[in-house]
Amino acid sequence: MKKFASLIFLLFSVVIATYPFAWMFLSSFKTNDEIYQPTLFLPADYKWDAFISLFNASYLPFLRIFSNSLILSFGQAFLATLISAGAGFYLAKYKFRGRGLVVFLAIFLVLIPKQTLAVPTFDWISWLGWRGSLFSLLLPGAVSGIGVLFFLQVFRRFPQEWIDLARIEGMSPFRTYISLLPLVFPGLMTFFFLHFVLSFQEHLLPLLLLDDENMTLPLALATLKDSSHRIPESVGMAAATLSLLPILIMFSLVFGKMKTALREVTLS
Amino acid sequence: MVPTGLGLDLSLRSPDLELSQKSTSLFDSTGKRESFVGFENYRRAFDDPRFWKSLSNSFHYVLGSLILILSLSFMLAVNLQSLPRFWQTPLLFCLIIPGLAMPSVLSTLFYLFFHGKEGALNQYLIIPLGFEPINWMMNPDFIMPSMIMQSVWRWTGLVTMFFLCGLAGVPHWQLEVARMEGLGTWSKIRYLWFPAIRNLILFAGVFLAVEGVASFSGAYVLLGGSGGILDSGLLFITYVYQVAFPGGSGRFDFPTAAAMCFSVAPILAFGLYLILRVRAGPLSR
Repeated sequence: MKKFASLIFLLFSVVIATYPFAWMFLSSFKTNDEIYQPTLFLPADYKWDAFISLFNASYLPFLRIFSNSLILSFGQAFLATLISAGAGFYLAKYKFRGRGLVVFLAIFLVLIPKQTLAVPTFDWISWLGWRGSLFSLLLPGAVSGIGVLFFLQVFRRFPQEWIDLARIEGMSPFRTYISLLPLVFPGLMTFFFLHFVLSFQEHLLPLLLLDDENMTLPLALATLKDSSHRIPESVGMAAATLSLLPILIMFSLVFGKMKTALREVTLS
Repeated sequence: MVPTGLGLDLSLRSPDLELSQKSTSLFDSTGKRESFVGFENYRRAFDDPRFWKSLSNSFHYVLGSLILILSLSFMLAVNLQSLPRFWQTPLLFCLIIPGLAMPSVLSTLFYLFFHGKEGALNQYLIIPLGFEPINWMMNPDFIMPSMIMQSVWRWTGLVTMFFLCGLAGVPHWQLEVARMEGLGTWSKIRYLWFPAIRNLILFAGVFLAVEGVASFSGAYVLLGGSGGILDSGLLFITYVYQVAFPGGSGRFDFPTAAAMCFSVAPILAFGLYLILRVRAGPLSR
């Protein structure tokens, strides 16, 4: 009986979590009139017009925006994983002066939201003359305080003897790091994925830094649902559905690894 | 590579240092820096009632979503944990989906769900319970609750996954003993499960608090970049954006915006102090 109650509770939560997405997908087939009745679940007629208009770039160069977002997020996630894993490894396994300070700064980075630094970042990027290009977003997103702490925790679990042994054998810290990487593969994948999601969703910095030719998905979604109602709502719904796809695909690939990695980090 | 990584790590954040310099100086719209004006910009920020309003809104937003998300996730994780694997994985997967979607998408969905009298929430919940339908986005009393609901809906799944991983760390023999001793649900929560994830709760709390202070996208789409009726949905970052960029009031007042950003730093530093004090698992050294 108790099992049954808890199953009902869970199923109820799952329905609340997923119902709007099902509604969103089905809404990409609806007319505006149908969308404005939120209790209506199924469309009267399944027409793929909204998706077709996106791919034909009737309102926005959607494919280009989509690939912009993918490139940017992959780049940011790749750089951030590389840098944070390296920093975490070195901080966890080597003693050097100022180590405590660096860890403190990493924690500080976690606590200062990136968005509160939007104004100075904007000024800084303009000063460099990178404003408007995708490249301007790559660098600010390549650093992650939480990543450094995450990998610090991951690498701390390795016995110090391995590092000492590697040193005695004459391996450079870099070689040691590279040879240990396969062991932290779940952690690398997890962090890559989380950072990918975060940069895929980033709204404020692209809004400030990019010009209209180089939009990313969040900006495009906001444009598609602007207040003028010139564009059918179903197009916005279709774009939103498509924006969810790459993340869902990646997530289903990473899901198992993610649980392993999180368990490792939380247990220590 | 490693030192380079660290160097990048630090140098990239130098806006932070620049920020302190900028918020005490004035510069005209061409970007040329003018004289050092001491705390003039800070005074201007502190004299601004909307600045305080936005801070207090952000505070309520963070507090409300923290309490709801943490307790709900804990309940979900404990319930999920007793299920067989076969059920656990797909249910968890579905719960996490809202956390992966873009905040602007979530807000679009929410807008339509909260929209006027016809919104799904009114139709499915409020009217069947016999209340008057609520005009969520137009009634100043309900803007904040609907923003909090949005954040709860978004983050609960991810936090649940963290908690579930923590719960998996409770050794099997402890559960056996608890079962043999006939421990009630409440004592099991109190002596087994809560201690197992105490650190994680703190960690998730800090993450959510930082995320809450920084949240921009959701409120931006939900309220169209404004603060909503009577500024009741004006969050801190939205206001900074309004002050600094023409999308808002067109003030282009960079220095004051910078001063505002820098004023929240002590609050966040207090959070840091708390973490180090309590030594949260994932962050302790």
